[in-house]
This record gives sequence, structure tokens and C-alpha cells, in this order.
Amino acid sequence: MSTPSSTPTWSRRRTSGLRVLAVWLALLAAWEGAYRIIGWRPWLFPAPSHVLDATLAMLGVKTGFGEPLGPRWPLAASAGGSLGGLVSSPLVQALAISAVRLALGFAISLVLGTILGLLMWRYPFADAALGPAFLGLQTLPSVVWVPLAILVFGIRESGIMFVLVMGSFFAIAIALRDGLRQSPPILRQAALMLGARRWKLYRHVVLPAGLPAVAGSLRQGFSFAWRSLMGAELIFVLQRRGLGFLLNVGREFADVAQVVAVMLIMVLIGMTVDRLLFARLELRVRERFGLA
Amino acid sequence: MRTVTASSALRAVPASGGASGRLEFARVSKHFGPDSVEALQGIDLACHPGEFVVVVGPSGCGKSTLLAIAAGMTAASEGTVSLDGRVIRTPGPDRTMVFQEHALFPWLTAAQNVGFGLQMTGVPRTEREDRVTAALRMVRLQNAAAKLPHELSGGMRQRVAIARALVMEPAVLLMDEPFSALDAQTRTLLHAQLQELWCAARKTVLFVTHSVGEAVRLADRIVVLHTNPGRIRREVQVPLPHPRNFDSRDISDIVALVRGEIADEVNRVNAELDADLV
Repeated sequence: MSTPSSTPTWSRRRTSGLRVLAVWLALLAAWEGAYRIIGWRPWLFPAPSHVLDATLAMLGVKTGFGEPLGPRWPLAASAGGSLGGLVSSPLVQALAISAVRLALGFAISLVLGTILGLLMWRYPFADAALGPAFLGLQTLPSVVWVPLAILVFGIRESGIMFVLVMGSFFAIAIALRDGLRQSPPILRQAALMLGARRWKLYRHVVLPAGLPAVAGSLRQGFSFAWRSLMGAELIFVLQRRGLGFLLNVGREFADVAQVVAVMLIMVLIGMTVDRLLFARLELRVRERFGLA
Repeated sequence: MRTVTASSALRAVPASGGASGRLEFARVSKHFGPDSVEALQGIDLACHPGEFVVVVGPSGCGKSTLLAIAAGMTAASEGTVSLDGRVIRTPGPDRTMVFQEHALFPWLTAAQNVGFGLQMTGVPRTEREDRVTAALRMVRLQNAAAKLPHELSGGMRQRVAIARALVMEPAVLLMDEPFSALDAQTRTLLHAQLQELWCAARKTVLFVTHSVGEAVRLADRIVVLHTNPGRIRREVQVPLPHPRNFDSRDISDIVALVRGEIADEVNRVNAELDADLV
């Protein structure tokens, strides 16, 4: 990777990145420009500058990027806000709460999904009994679990966890089962021939052979878990307010800019975690296996 | 020169325990499903200790099944296979196999692949490292120890697979068309290397191939299989000394003889097919 020959690829990747950035900046500029020239009303549909204001406001900083251009632009008409309030700002608080929920729920999902995925892979009976149902349940949009969660668990943290786990663990189990099935049987035969038995066979061959599958199921599971959590938080109004709640606040106060801002943040977080963590993990494993 | 290198490398490997390596098939039959034609029918074959036996036959004659039964990976429908008098039922490190497609563990390096069986059977680390080094040197891959399988060429992968099989000091080495996926040049190179290894170690080898040329180069005895049902058609002794000169006249004479046998067989099968069609 650090060979000189890889340098051109890097610079090529950077120029293509810059080009993408330029396209997006041009689109945003056109949107903002159209807004200011035509004069849409900000409470019907926000301009990029309003979304920026709303984002910063959720971080406890009041700005006026969306105000008409003037000598005091982009300071807010009503002064206020300080960086000191960043940690206690609604957005940071919401991110922290959602992150804890996601980590906990995803962990539960992983444990359940791994156990059931392994069962379905190992025992054809378990697969015949559970496989079709899991596949069906996987297609269910996760918010469909909300009424059941409210009735069974009440409007509590456990209700949110239930929706998150139900929304993601079927997908993890199915992805793991399918991935493990792809590991070549010849490796198992080779291992048996070389004296691997019982748990050693699992520990040294079946498990590592399934690593690409595990990495894939992690990635799949995370995206399902994240979507389920946002859906649940949107509906469950609890003392601890997650990112989904902020979306609802935006709706209740008819703050379109905040609604769009929160949606953008959700997209960014989902994408970033996937790219930085799971896609990288998958790529690493695939490279090691010579699959990439 | 070549022989010297190989034998000195092999001496670093401790001598194998009591196993003498007599592999015996007694009335072995195999059919897949109740109504199907027998893949193998009444196979009687004894490989003597230190003998290089090559099974040839047209594709579909059940020669790979024969090997799988000896490996303990497939059960015979009737009859038994025994190694030094003990009936074979499960796969084990006394009968290691080199597969047609390299079956190396893709996440392990060449050295880790070679050491895998030693690790599984509880050989202590220092001894393991010594034996792995010796085995890799034996197939002249000491410089590729840290490479992953996908970083190696096809021929190198098969050499790692051979080292992985031999490091276990098996009583019998089973080889299932190990070179059929390689180009002709690499194959000839590996034939020479295998000869050399076998001359040094004198293990019992049961080798399966569809290539008559390959069979004559390597074998002490060639077993020609019949198709439909799979039966032994003929056995041909190859009385030439090892290591062999692959370009010699004797070799091409025996090749012609065995090719004739197989041609008869193929003609017979085709004639039967034609008769069925009429």
C-alpha cells in the first residue's frame, strides 16, 4: 500500500473527491440562490442556510445564515449562545443517548442473531422451521413492531430496545447463515484430514472460514439496527431524548429547517459509521482472504 | 544435486512411527443412491509399503471416489479399506491428501498452513516450527513462508499443499489429480520434484489422474479403471528405475500401451451409448 506506485491512485481519488464536492457545492449554491431570488417562505421549505442555522441552534449556537444579507450577516438578529453550552446542547445530548441505545441494542441483536444464525446453518431442521419465518420477518418495516412494543413493554427504554432488536437480528441471523454456507466444504475435509476435531474444527476452521460472512452480517445488522432505532425514537417519547425525538420536536414546532437538519444528520451518521467501521472491516477480511 | 537437497531436508523431519503403509482395498463397492449404477464395483487393490500406485481412467470412472474412501471422507457401500490391517472409517493424519484444487486455508500463511495439522495434533511449538521450516525447504518454498495462499502461483500453492500433507509423516499420501489445474511446464517441474521427494521418503502413494503421461512418469504400478461400473480393467507394472528421465523411449512405449487400454475402454463406452440410442 505504501509503494510509490500507489501514489497516482491516491491523487486520482482526491481529484474525483474534489469533483464530487464541487458538484454538491454548486447544487447547494443553486438552491440557496433560487431561494433568495424567488423568495420562498422559509416555514414551507428551508434553504441550505436555514438548515445550517437549525443545526447550529441544536448545538446551542445561534446564527443567522438564513437572514437577508446585511452588515451583521451571519450573526443572529437576537444575540445569544455560547460554545460553553455545546455538551449540554440538545443535539449532543441526543447523539449520546442514541449512541448508547444503539450500542446496547446492537449488541443484543448480535448475540441473538449469531446464535440463531449458527443454529440455522448447523441444523437443517432449525433452518426449515425458522428460516422462512425469519426471511418474512426481515421484510417487515421495523416501525411495525412499535404498537406491540408499547403494549407489551410500555413506553419505556425496553420498548425501544425491543423494536431495535426485532428490526435487526433477523437480518443478522440470515446473513450469517447464508455466508457460512458459502465457506467451501473442502476446507472442512482438509481440516479433518489434518486431525482437527470437534471444537478445534470450529475454532480453527469453521469460524475463520466464516469471517467474511460475519463481517457482512455485522454491516447488514448495523444498518438495520440504526434505522429501527430512529423509527422507534420518533414514536417513543421518553425522558431521555434521542436523535429521533429531535425530528419529532421539529415537526411539533413546525420547524422545517430542524426536520431537514436532523434527517441530514441521520444520513451522515449512518453513512460515516458504515464507511469508517463496517465497510473497512469487511474489506480487511476480504483482502486477507484474497477475495477483494 | 536436486536429490541431495531434498534428502537432507527430509532428514530434518523425524522418522515416522511404526506405520509401514500397506493400503488395502477389499471388495470395495460404492453406489450413490439405491438405483444408480455402481461407481465402484468389487475393487481389490493392495498398495505395498513404499509403492507409488497411480489410478488412471476416463472421467467418471470413480477414481476420485476410490481416493475419498481411502481418506475416510466417503464410506464404502460394501467392502473395506484398511491401512496396516486397521479398517479405515474416518479421515486422519496418517492418510493425508493433496486435493485437485488447492484446499489451503486462505486466511493462513504458507507456514501456518503447513503447521496446521501439527498444531491440531498437539505437536509442541518449537518442534512444529522446525518441521514446518524443513517441509517448506523440501518443496523449496522457504522464502514464501509468510505469504498468503492468494499471493502464490498455482504451482506454489500445490507445493504448499504437498508440504502440508508430508509434514504429518503420513503412512500413505493420497493425491487427487493434484497437478491437473496447472500448465504443462509447471506440471513437469512438479513431477520432477515429487519424484525426488518420493525417492527420499519412500512413502506409499496413491495417486489419481486422467493423464496417462503423468501416470507413467511417476508410477511403479498403474491401475486402469473401467467405467460404468467402475472396475479394475488392468494393472501395468512400470519397471523403470527412479528418478526417471521423462523424455526416455521406455516411457513413451508404456504410455502408448496404457493409452491403448484406455482408448479401448472409451470406444467400448461410446459403442454402448450408440447401441442405446439405436
